[in-house]
Amino acid sequence: MAFLHERLDNGLEVIAETTESALSTSVGFFAMTGARDERDDLWGVSHFLEHMVFKGTADLSGDDINRRFDAMGASVNAFTGEEDTVYYAAVLPRQQHEAVDLLARMMRPALREEDFATEKLVILEEIRMYDDQPPFGADDRCRASFFGRHPLGRSVLGSTESIQALPVEAMRDYHRRRYAPGTVVLAASGAVDFPALVESARRLCGDWEPVPAGDRRVPGVPRAPAVGGVERIVRPAAALAYAVRMAAGPAEPDPDRYAAKLLAVVLGDSSGSRLYWALVDPGDAEQASLHHQDFLDAGLFVTQLSCDAADAESLLERMLGIYAEARNQGIDTREVTQARNKLAGRVVLGGERPRRRLFDVGLEWSHSRTYRSVADTLRIVESLTLDDVQRVLSAWAPDGPAATVLAGPGAEGETSA
Amino acid sequence: MKQTLFSATLDNGITVLGEELSGLESVAVAFHAPAGAIHDPQGRCGLATLAGELCLRGAGDRDSRQVVEELEGAGVQWSQAVSTTHTSFSGAMVARQLPDVLPVYADILRRPRLPDDEFEGARQMVLQNLAAIEDDPGHRTMAALRRIHYPSPWGMPTEGLSADVEQLTCANVRGFLGRHLQPRGMIIAIAGRIDWQDFLDRIERLLGDWQGTTAPAVATGPRGPAMRHVPHDAQQTHIALGWSVPPYRDDASYDVTAALSILGGGPSSRLFTEVRERRGLCYSVSAGYQTHRDFAMALCYSGTTAERAQETLDVMLAEIDRLPGSISVDELERVKARARSGLVMQQESSAARAGAIARQWYHVGHVRTLASELDRYDRLDVATVEAALAALPPRDLSVVSLGREPLEVPGGVPA
Repeated sequence: MAFLHERLDNGLEVIAETTESALSTSVGFFAMTGARDERDDLWGVSHFLEHMVFKGTADLSGDDINRRFDAMGASVNAFTGEEDTVYYAAVLPRQQHEAVDLLARMMRPALREEDFATEKLVILEEIRMYDDQPPFGADDRCRASFFGRHPLGRSVLGSTESIQALPVEAMRDYHRRRYAPGTVVLAASGAVDFPALVESARRLCGDWEPVPAGDRRVPGVPRAPAVGGVERIVRPAAALAYAVRMAAGPAEPDPDRYAAKLLAVVLGDSSGSRLYWALVDPGDAEQASLHHQDFLDAGLFVTQLSCDAADAESLLERMLGIYAEARNQGIDTREVTQARNKLAGRVVLGGERPRRRLFDVGLEWSHSRTYRSVADTLRIVESLTLDDVQRVLSAWAPDGPAATVLAGPGAEGETSA
Repeated sequence: MKQTLFSATLDNGITVLGEELSGLESVAVAFHAPAGAIHDPQGRCGLATLAGELCLRGAGDRDSRQVVEELEGAGVQWSQAVSTTHTSFSGAMVARQLPDVLPVYADILRRPRLPDDEFEGARQMVLQNLAAIEDDPGHRTMAALRRIHYPSPWGMPTEGLSADVEQLTCANVRGFLGRHLQPRGMIIAIAGRIDWQDFLDRIERLLGDWQGTTAPAVATGPRGPAMRHVPHDAQQTHIALGWSVPPYRDDASYDVTAALSILGGGPSSRLFTEVRERRGLCYSVSAGYQTHRDFAMALCYSGTTAERAQETLDVMLAEIDRLPGSISVDELERVKARARSGLVMQQESSAARAGAIARQWYHVGHVRTLASELDRYDRLDVATVEAALAALPPRDLSVVSLGREPLEVPGGVPA
């Protein structure tokens, strides 16, 4: 396994993790832009733009793009988050050139008015789809309540109103500012011909105008929620209640981020954790979990619960009691060992898939210009100790101040929010 | 591409399959017992699922917690699942952990404790899952389609029915596992960094002296109505269509799945192009293929705003009608390319390969080599795919809608 890196004259970074035994090649453009880079009048533009990138360039129609990807047998997709928009394709090695060529051209989309109008309908359907399914918007509302005016409070999809109001010119301007060398990284993993990758990048992206990247971090990240207490979303037809609770945790650059993930496995992994044995194993809850999520300048401990509506509040109390007990009475060495072995297993198995490695390597480089091999990550995980976990638990209590949203059938007298 | 496959059959009827994958550190192993939901007696829908859950709650000299701790302590990504035909226990791990882990699986299969004091927790867990499914409109739509399309009891929900699960007892579970958790018909599959002979020796030691009986075959009954509307108060209406096609073990299934891929398999497919790209009617629309050993179903799915659901259904039906006689060489070449790279990329995942070789053994009685599968895709041509489409328009179309208002099929659905 080797890591290779090249910087084009215009500042575009090209990276690859090559694996000799790999049977496939994954390539992707990592645009460092997402919901946190939007303003109120641009809410939802990053994700909408991700869709529009597949609708064609000046020379290619959307149908052309879909047909070309299918013709190379590519597994192609894209996703948009709070901080990143990622376009990727997994192909057989002989298709590397073809896949990079098409993805690179797509990074300069036509953004045609008529495509924009049709795709707007698809985005509105996507919003309705998520709104119809658990946790019925509780996750987005909870993040908004935790972060308040901080840019991370903005949901990725936008709202029906913000999408309907968005003009195509605003998207074109956003694209010009955010899809430039300095904000975009071209990454590859698996069986990669790196000289050919760099050559493709020079030819197809060499004339991209650089735009100053700017620092996206915001001073004064909240340690406590902007809106505390329990908010409710009422869905009379829901069979279960869904709770989401967010408390502060270590941010991405914090060396304690791995210990935070280990702590979340001990306390709230989907099996074999304290929450699992207390709530899921006896069948009191359908799901009761804790995970750690990190951003450039903030982190969260996210508690999720789904259960019978009548039990939601008492079970949430029990979960907080389990966190408090761990903090006051400590964690067992055996629990840490089991969680560490689970995490290590995930690192090794995930490391075998070039597609999965593309995301790990591409996002890490986009955010911090660092590279970590599977072996590097394994070493970090295996060096974590009980003390590390205890330190995170006392510094960042997952039962500390939090935003909480409860979505469900609701009690009598409550009205839909 | 070099491929190293192994197979063996133990005296007691267990089939053991293996595939060595170079370049991987992991192995994935799966034990598929012939204890699927098809054996749920009438009025006890969910028995297999509850039994599968209870198997993990103590095995051999381990209690419930020790079973999980032993697997997770070894870094195993484990899962337990009940399908129509099998109850499966699987694990993926770093290869060196395998020898320590196999005895745990052997105890789950041969010596589950099935303790009375774990029964209620297991039942509640199954009921919680059923309640969560109530909130998943896509899952409910496909479940309703299987229920009306497949001959009874093949379409019954594997996850169970709440009213039935409420009535089950621990004695029901013990009786079920006594009848169906058997070596005869069991498939064990392993893939990744394997030492085949060592693995086979260990399986022989752990499971070779396990004697069992053969469970009676399941009687197949009638099918359900051709159309069903499931009332559901939400913004979107969900649509599922199904019709009968040849099963996987029939060679014509390659032609059929190619046709379905052209209809709704990738971003350049007919349904994606016409329903989503051209008209913006939905976020998700697709066509697929689902097979049992003796019959299979072609299926189409979409979810869209209630007001636009009828138009979405109309366009989907029109695209199905338009398919015969219209397949182009380019379209078929794209299907072949997708199939080829899918097959090759599967070789990068131990879990995917362990699943694939077991599935093939169950359906066709042997493992199809990668070379033979690639060759079969190469031999697809427009004429054979068109011949497979001769059965369209489907004579036994089943239609499910889930949403506020029922939809109409123009001209009706033949009963």
